[in-house]
Amino acid sequence: MTQSADTLLQVSDLTLHYRTRRGTARAVDGVSFDLRRNEALVVLGESGSGKSSLAKALMRLLPRNIERFSGQVMLGDMDIMQLGDEAFRKQVQWNRMALVMQAAMNALNPVVRVGEQVAEPLRVHRGWSKDRAMERVAETFRKVGVSTDFLQRYPFELSGGMRQRVVLAMALVTEPDVVILDEPTSALDVLTQASIMNVLKRIKREEGTSFILITHDVATSSELADRVALMYAGQIVEISDARDFFHYPAHPYSQMLMDSVPRLHQAEAPGYIPGEPPDLIDPPTGCRFADRCPSRFSKCSQDPPAFSPDERRRVRCWLHEDEVARGS
Amino acid sequence: MSDANLPAGRGAGPLRDLRRLAFFTLRRVLALFVTILVGVYLTIIIANMGGKVDELRELQIRSTISEAVRADPSYQQMDSEERNALIQEQVQMEIERRNLDEPFIWRSFDYLAQAIQLDLGRAEEMHSDAGSRDVYDIIVERLPATLLLFGTANLLVFFVSVYAALYLSRHYGSRLDRLVIGLAPSSAAPGWFYGIFLILIFAFIIPILPAGGMVDIPPPENDWAYARSVLSHMVLPVIAMFISSIFISIYSWRTFFLIHSSEDYVEMARAKGLPANLIQSRYILRPTLAPIITNFLLMLIGLWSGAIILEQVFNWPGLGTLLFQAIGYRDTPVIIGGVVIFAYLLAVTVFMLDFLYAILDPRVRIEGGQ
Repeated sequence: MTQSADTLLQVSDLTLHYRTRRGTARAVDGVSFDLRRNEALVVLGESGSGKSSLAKALMRLLPRNIERFSGQVMLGDMDIMQLGDEAFRKQVQWNRMALVMQAAMNALNPVVRVGEQVAEPLRVHRGWSKDRAMERVAETFRKVGVSTDFLQRYPFELSGGMRQRVVLAMALVTEPDVVILDEPTSALDVLTQASIMNVLKRIKREEGTSFILITHDVATSSELADRVALMYAGQIVEISDARDFFHYPAHPYSQMLMDSVPRLHQAEAPGYIPGEPPDLIDPPTGCRFADRCPSRFSKCSQDPPAFSPDERRRVRCWLHEDEVARGS
Repeated sequence: MSDANLPAGRGAGPLRDLRRLAFFTLRRVLALFVTILVGVYLTIIIANMGGKVDELRELQIRSTISEAVRADPSYQQMDSEERNALIQEQVQMEIERRNLDEPFIWRSFDYLAQAIQLDLGRAEEMHSDAGSRDVYDIIVERLPATLLLFGTANLLVFFVSVYAALYLSRHYGSRLDRLVIGLAPSSAAPGWFYGIFLILIFAFIIPILPAGGMVDIPPPENDWAYARSVLSHMVLPVIAMFISSIFISIYSWRTFFLIHSSEDYVEMARAKGLPANLIQSRYILRPTLAPIITNFLLMLIGLWSGAIILEQVFNWPGLGTLLFQAIGYRDTPVIIGGVVIFAYLLAVTVFMLDFLYAILDPRVRIEGGQ
């Protein structure tokens, strides 16, 4: 993995295990990736692949039943995993990293005016006056396409699409380095999805913000993606440039996933992947996709490391061992 | 943005809000008044046993008068027929004086009209300690004692349990949390049950506190000594009520706060890195203030009726004891008077709640008037 000067966030071996009644759930199991400045990284994965847990681990929004939470997350030259909770809250949360939550519909306090809620991080973290904060909120509202008439309204007076934009404005208002979007459009209709993706694209172009977009929606995410990381059973199985990923996926799982995306005017029915994702509580030893993989061979019973067939790709699959050997 | 003009089209401004509020208020007042009418009327019917009490009253009048006539030496010489005619005449007069000859259904509306005007009438058997037979005086005399005792105990339980519950909901699963949950079944026993044990222990085995009553006999002259005496009489009943309700109350508030602290917007507030006390006040308490205040106000009017057995156990001269006696004497005016005042208090409380809801919750304030 190349460490370039404009690397903003570098995650190495991030691990988040939950303690459950049945045993340890390995929701995030040794995840490594980096995010460059002004880049949109899409984290794709089926439900239960650990992608939302990844967002929670990065923002340190942890439930109580944590068994193991470890790894290194370098934000600039600061390892935010080493910060105490209070320091993390003050220095990282919303100052440098912000989150647009899944279920953003209910992410707004029903009894507080939306303008006030969006202004809160500025007032709390930066100590801004109310007027100064509200001015910035109005500006952010315009950026995400919300009329400033809505500043004084309550969440229940807004439509779903508007609420989503307000939540987006809340994430952008402090101008953080990284914005994590956890399924930001999954509850919205297609037109609203498209307009929100357009807002994100414009913000990225104009403000230089970096995004981590967590989703299961291959089609919508392709709009924004610079790079794609594909998660399977708590691990990243492939991370590639978006163009490569969408056109020449390397991991067998990526290939099958891309085949299963329905396209307009396509003659044959979309493919599907037989079997079910493995249980995070007792994942199979060796390659976790092996049971469902058509290209499985003897080596798959061992855990594959991440191979880099070329410098823009990392693939966790034994099939790519040879390419690496040939390449080097 | 097609949805931008949708909410704006409803028209905004304080005038619209005021008109809505006035309409809302009028409707609520009417509805509550009808509720009071129905409640009080039902009580009148029930307390009079649908008119059956009149027959009892007639019998009572007849026996009182005939006894009086028979006992009177000046009538000793009369022959029995004359005497019976005299008795009959006096009974008739008394019945007419009390309007008992009119059909009950007519009188029931008279009673209703009087009750609604808080003209509670005179008690049939009971009288206040000061000697008045006015139902209003009788009730008002007992009210402070009940309010003092139950108010102290319930306010204590309410505030202690809400604060403890907030703490436990933040430390959910801790040893203390499990201890409180484990103790919750202690509330299965009522206050008077603990009261009996407390009296046994602290008034007889280790006699440091009075066993019952509200103040020493004779009452101390000095105001401070009087207050101290009342306080020492309050200790045991308050502790008894506290023990019997504190744990279940903490338990239920704790569950309430736990449910509300897993709302998405609370999670969002945590993600935003807001300090814990701001999350607690603005994201947990503020959205849940309406149900908390409802609970508080309903508790306050619940004080009114006191607790019959607890007041008996501690010999406390409050409303519980009064109602107990009134039912025993079949003193209808006192029973009805108690219910009328309770109905009014309840209606006023509910009305206040409606207003508070509108102030606290914008969803009620803005959409409720439509």
